Amino acid sequence: MAGGSRDIVDAIFRSKSGLAGVLILMVILGLSIVALIYVPFDVSSKWNDITFWQLNPRLAPPSWINIFLNKKLPETVIIGEKDFIKYEYYVETAGLKYVTLEAKLDYSYDEYPSEIIAMLYVNDSSGMLVTLKWIQPNGIEIPLCRLIVGHGVTPIYIGNRKDVQEGLMNTMVKLGIVPPGTIKPEVLLFSDLNHPNSFEVLKGIYRFKIDAAIPNRNATIDSKLIVYGKVYGLAGTDSKRRDLFIGVVWGAPVALAFGLTTAILTSFIQTLLGTLSAWYGGLVDEVFQRITDIYMILPFLPILITISVIYKINIWTLLAIVVALSVFGSATKTARSMALQIMSEPYVEAAVSYGASRRRIMLLYILPRLLPYTMANIVLSVPSYVFLEAALSLLGLGDPTMPTWGKIISDAFEGGAVIHGLWWWVLIPSTLIIMTAIAFALIGLALDKVVNPRLRER
Amino acid sequence: MSGATAMLRYLAKRAAFLLGTLVIATYITILIANAGGLIDEILSAQIKYDITTNLARTPGWSQLPENEKTRIINERFESAIKAKGLDKPFLERTIYYLIDALTLNLGRALFITSASGSKRVVDIILERLPLTVLLFTTGTILYSIVGLFIGLYMARRPGGPFDRLFSVFAIVTQVIPPWFFGILFIMVFAYYLGLVPFGGIVSVPPPQDALGYFLDVLYHMALPLFTWVFSLFGAWAYIARNLMIQIAEEDFVVTARAKGLPENVLMRRYILRPSLPPIVTSISLSLIASWQGAIITETIFNWPGLGSLYSQAISALDAPVVIGLAVVYAYLLVATILVLDLTYGFMDPRIRGVA
Repeated sequence: MAGGSRDIVDAIFRSKSGLAGVLILMVILGLSIVALIYVPFDVSSKWNDITFWQLNPRLAPPSWINIFLNKKLPETVIIGEKDFIKYEYYVETAGLKYVTLEAKLDYSYDEYPSEIIAMLYVNDSSGMLVTLKWIQPNGIEIPLCRLIVGHGVTPIYIGNRKDVQEGLMNTMVKLGIVPPGTIKPEVLLFSDLNHPNSFEVLKGIYRFKIDAAIPNRNATIDSKLIVYGKVYGLAGTDSKRRDLFIGVVWGAPVALAFGLTTAILTSFIQTLLGTLSAWYGGLVDEVFQRITDIYMILPFLPILITISVIYKINIWTLLAIVVALSVFGSATKTARSMALQIMSEPYVEAAVSYGASRRRIMLLYILPRLLPYTMANIVLSVPSYVFLEAALSLLGLGDPTMPTWGKIISDAFEGGAVIHGLWWWVLIPSTLIIMTAIAFALIGLALDKVVNPRLRER
Repeated sequence: MSGATAMLRYLAKRAAFLLGTLVIATYITILIANAGGLIDEILSAQIKYDITTNLARTPGWSQLPENEKTRIINERFESAIKAKGLDKPFLERTIYYLIDALTLNLGRALFITSASGSKRVVDIILERLPLTVLLFTTGTILYSIVGLFIGLYMARRPGGPFDRLFSVFAIVTQVIPPWFFGILFIMVFAYYLGLVPFGGIVSVPPPQDALGYFLDVLYHMALPLFTWVFSLFGAWAYIARNLMIQIAEEDFVVTARAKGLPENVLMRRYILRPSLPPIVTSISLSLIASWQGAIITETIFNWPGLGSLYSQAISALDAPVVIGLAVVYAYLLVATILVLDLTYGFMDPRIRGVA
């Protein structure tokens, strides 16, 4: 029988499966390191903050799907305050300040945007009369809306406004075109209005114009135009516009930390208790074995659910409870029988006869021999704990603040991603969780050969 | 005769142990739930509710002045609390609750009602139990049979292409829980291929005739059943394979083979038979895990059994149902082990007392 930690490392790196497992884990760990660089803010505080994600499109698939499509889906285009050309003048006789803002938007995608929002920033509270206009590449000018804007930030949801729809209708009537039954501004604004039923995007340079008037010399207006796309980032977005890439890469360290810590603690405790059971024998052994039998039949998940329902817990308390519920287990039994075997070996007998202390024999002569087994056990039980966290999330018992893989999958399931085919929302976190599980299983397979040489493939 | 007594003694021993486990599991649940005084609260709220509804039905009750009403309610409430033993110290109270729970006297649900309109937790749970048993017992029997046969086949030529392929499959499916496959399969088979419904147990509205109803349930059962078998039979086959390979190396098998016994007799009598008891032991452990895995799998497939009741109770924060379910699960696990012990007893000649 092999022993010692050198053999473990050897076993992992000499076998193909172990190497593959380590490689996959390295990639996932690499991703988590990227996460720390790519996302410099505190995710747990921002993840549930809706305003933080408002510049992202809703339920957008990842950008790279454009490579596989023959139609190019639009990305979100944001025209910032600095991109507007601004003219201001004050007319003394009328006592009015005029501001015009104009921005150019080069649109060459094959699909319409999903939403259009114009943000207006006004520094005066006396009320500013604002007129928004849209000029298509073919020169057709469409009045969008006219409204009085007060102090502060005013978002104008162009896609949802009645007056924008009317403006479009009037423009078409003026052109002698029969307007379609339903008017979707985000579609018609980007179509050739001479052929409104062609459903083809009119590519070219669009102009967005704002005319404002206010009876105050110092007042001014700024604007930002957000044309939401239909694809986003590396992993798409969810129903709350959150960048799933951030969630998914942040889920990696959380999942690994949770899985590894739980696996290490439970495996070590179970092995130690099994060894103690063998070492002391007699009554201690009997009691430990009966407790283990009971522990193995306990309804683990129902008890865990009861605790989570009654005492709202976070992920680290959950970890402590899982460990407490797994103090005894199958590893206790295996470790006990292995320890009994080791104790009957001559070198332990020799140690006893030359008067080595009990602690010395236990820590230096018996436990190290159990190390390979414990290691294999740790590696093999990591995936089950990663999935346990996901399972609890699905039942609505996960940590609500952290973006864990399980939380994202459960959000996706509840958000109808499965029944509406929003594949990226489900498949990207799922792939990562499966890759992690398989990586540990492969490493476990490599270790299995050290622990159970009888099963070695012939 | 001695064979029967040996068997009975074995069964009595196991039954006593399982009963002890049941009591401990239930007691742990109760201790956890009542550590924050939750069961106390639930019970006293129920007593108060019973008293007020009873009194409201008494003639002349509404004519009484308000403070008189409160006095009578409080009086009865206190005597009921005394009668129930709710004024006793914590540990004594939990013993009362333990007896209540073990006799399935699980109280009344806060929000959830059974299909028949009952608010009693037992009724709600027992109404759902057959559906869970239907799906997962069928699934478990199916995957054990499929797994056993594939395991046997793998053990014939260890290291061959089939064995290698299935070993990888087994290892991969072993680490991924059934509910996870459930999510992926719903997406593939229900959304993209449209072969099966997204979930539930019957169509809305359900078919009128019995045959149509039966076929409709089968149609809804197909995907959860497939998921269950798909995700669990690999691990099973792997366990069976390893056991067979181990036994095939034993001296008595080698001798039998040397004697020139035909391979299929060898397989049945010399390899399969001695490997059955350990297979039963490992199935009992995997069954415990799979009963609990059923909770989430049902939630995913919206299968109206105990698992969906769990997620319903969790989202409604219906604590009596959650506690009741934990008790019923303890019963379920213990009953499963008891059945397996029985099977084990019949299979192992040492216990059957043949030798």
